Amino acid sequence: MDPNDRTAPIIAEGLVRAFGDVRAVDGVDLEVADGEVFGFLGPNGAGKSTTVRMLTTLLRPTGGRAVVAGHDVVREAAEVRFSIGVALQDASIDPLMTGRELLHLQATLYGIGRQAGRARSEELLDRVGLTDAADRLVGGYSGGMRRRLDLALALMHEPSILFLDEPTTGLDPMSRVNLWDEVRRLNSEHGTTVFLTTQYLEEADELAHRVAIIDQGRIVREGAPSTLKAQVGLPTLLVDVDPGNEEAAHTALATVGEFRPARAGRVAIGLFEGASGAAEAVRVLDAAGITIHHMELNTPTLDDVFAEATGRRLEGAADEDAG
Amino acid sequence: MKVPVGPQLAALSRRAVLRFARQPSSWAPATIFPLLLVAVNSSAMARVAEIPGVVPPGTTFLMFLLPAAIVQGVLFGGINGGSELATDIQGGFFDRLVASPVSRPAILLGRLAGAVAFGVFQAVFFQLILWPFGAQVVAGPAGRATLVVSAAVLSLGVGSVAAGLAARTGQPEAVQGFFPLLFILLFLSSAFFPTQLMSGWYQVVAEHNPITWMVDGMRTLVLEGWSWSAAIAAVGVPAAVCVVGMLFATRQLDRRLAVAS
Repeated sequence: MDPNDRTAPIIAEGLVRAFGDVRAVDGVDLEVADGEVFGFLGPNGAGKSTTVRMLTTLLRPTGGRAVVAGHDVVREAAEVRFSIGVALQDASIDPLMTGRELLHLQATLYGIGRQAGRARSEELLDRVGLTDAADRLVGGYSGGMRRRLDLALALMHEPSILFLDEPTTGLDPMSRVNLWDEVRRLNSEHGTTVFLTTQYLEEADELAHRVAIIDQGRIVREGAPSTLKAQVGLPTLLVDVDPGNEEAAHTALATVGEFRPARAGRVAIGLFEGASGAAEAVRVLDAAGITIHHMELNTPTLDDVFAEATGRRLEGAADEDAG
Repeated sequence: MKVPVGPQLAALSRRAVLRFARQPSSWAPATIFPLLLVAVNSSAMARVAEIPGVVPPGTTFLMFLLPAAIVQGVLFGGINGGSELATDIQGGFFDRLVASPVSRPAILLGRLAGAVAFGVFQAVFFQLILWPFGAQVVAGPAGRATLVVSAAVLSLGVGSVAAGLAARTGQPEAVQGFFPLLFILLFLSSAFFPTQLMSGWYQVVAEHNPITWMVDGMRTLVLEGWSWSAAIAAVGVPAAVCVVGMLFATRQLDRRLAVAS
């Protein structure tokens, strides 16, 4: 990875940010390809937002370097700011202004002329579904509306790179899905490169072409979600059988997968052939005369990837599973 | 790649004024309390005007108090205007600005525009509302205009000191905590009582208090008529506060921005 090769829209090399003795970001290397949705996944306090703040020129690195849109984030910060759109954590939107007023203000800050700024504001309001609420004070907006307005503000100057810092934290499931759709549309229709931080496994899985998992300031895994999950191990088949039949089931399934611990009345095996081995498992159990009461296939999740890398489960993973 | 500063400053100033107007808690106390204090003092101490040398013949103690009302209101408003910067920092809007190509001076000056607009409003409002009760300005339109300019410059000065504190602390509460100190300085001046009727250390402090110099200049315009020296005192003292305040605010803002690229 060469920061002087300016083809990749986002490059970080040995990026460090220390606060006193604490290294919040401790030597992050990453490269995001043009038109990619890159998920930056990690628990609270892992260093996600600190990394984003450095990449968006809000925080000066104490070590390493980063190049965004072909410009060094320290020496060419002004050029970086013209090329990126930023939607920060908690939707930092002035509650005493209306959505339309804030869009007009944003247009002026980026040097967009009055007429063009107004036209672009209307286009963005329509795009994020806020035309009817445009003249209401933002203080009366729901969390989802604020996030959509935040996204519209970030898109005002049509940036080629978009940074979204935990864009769906605190949103209800419907608002979350709507925002995902908008991010997908931006990426597929406009080719916008998206750098997305999240603590939600499902979000990274849904949106990101590639993810980097950060923990304690260091990237512990990086790759496509499917690749990372495949590296963790085989999918697990869970089969509920009559109590007392577990041993017979294990024997029958020995050619299909490897034994895994399970509660009484249940057999768990890691399928040698992946998910496609489930059909063979049903056949051998049937041939052995073992009744199947319930069966489910669990594929590895990004949480398994995180657990495998750090020895811990990602915070909030239980909530995600429930949601 | 440069964005013109003028439109940025105008847009941020408009936002500051809109925010001020939309928060009655910012402007209502700063408008009502000075009027209440003037009403109470002008009634309770009306006979002070009968003491020779306090006010010229044909003038009233209400006229004596008009500059006090303006200065008190401006101090309230200036602090509120400056603390708005802390609100932006705390709420994250400051980060949004820093991540954009906005000119750094526009961040500060745009934020103080609300305080200046409010200072102008107060100077005009207090003059108009007290006029029917006999609060004339002997210096006429030029004197009235000078009072407005003085209020505007003082707003910018106090606002910039408050903005400096805001940039330093990032906490609106810390900025608001500065207000009692200003209020004490106001009472340790000639704002509500003539210095010639004071005695001891209180008189010494009041006579050396810059607020006294400014208020006395304004008061000369109200009670005696046009005087260049009075006009210079009325505008010069707040201008000096302004210079110190802007230097302080700029330094503190630079310090905060130094962590950014």
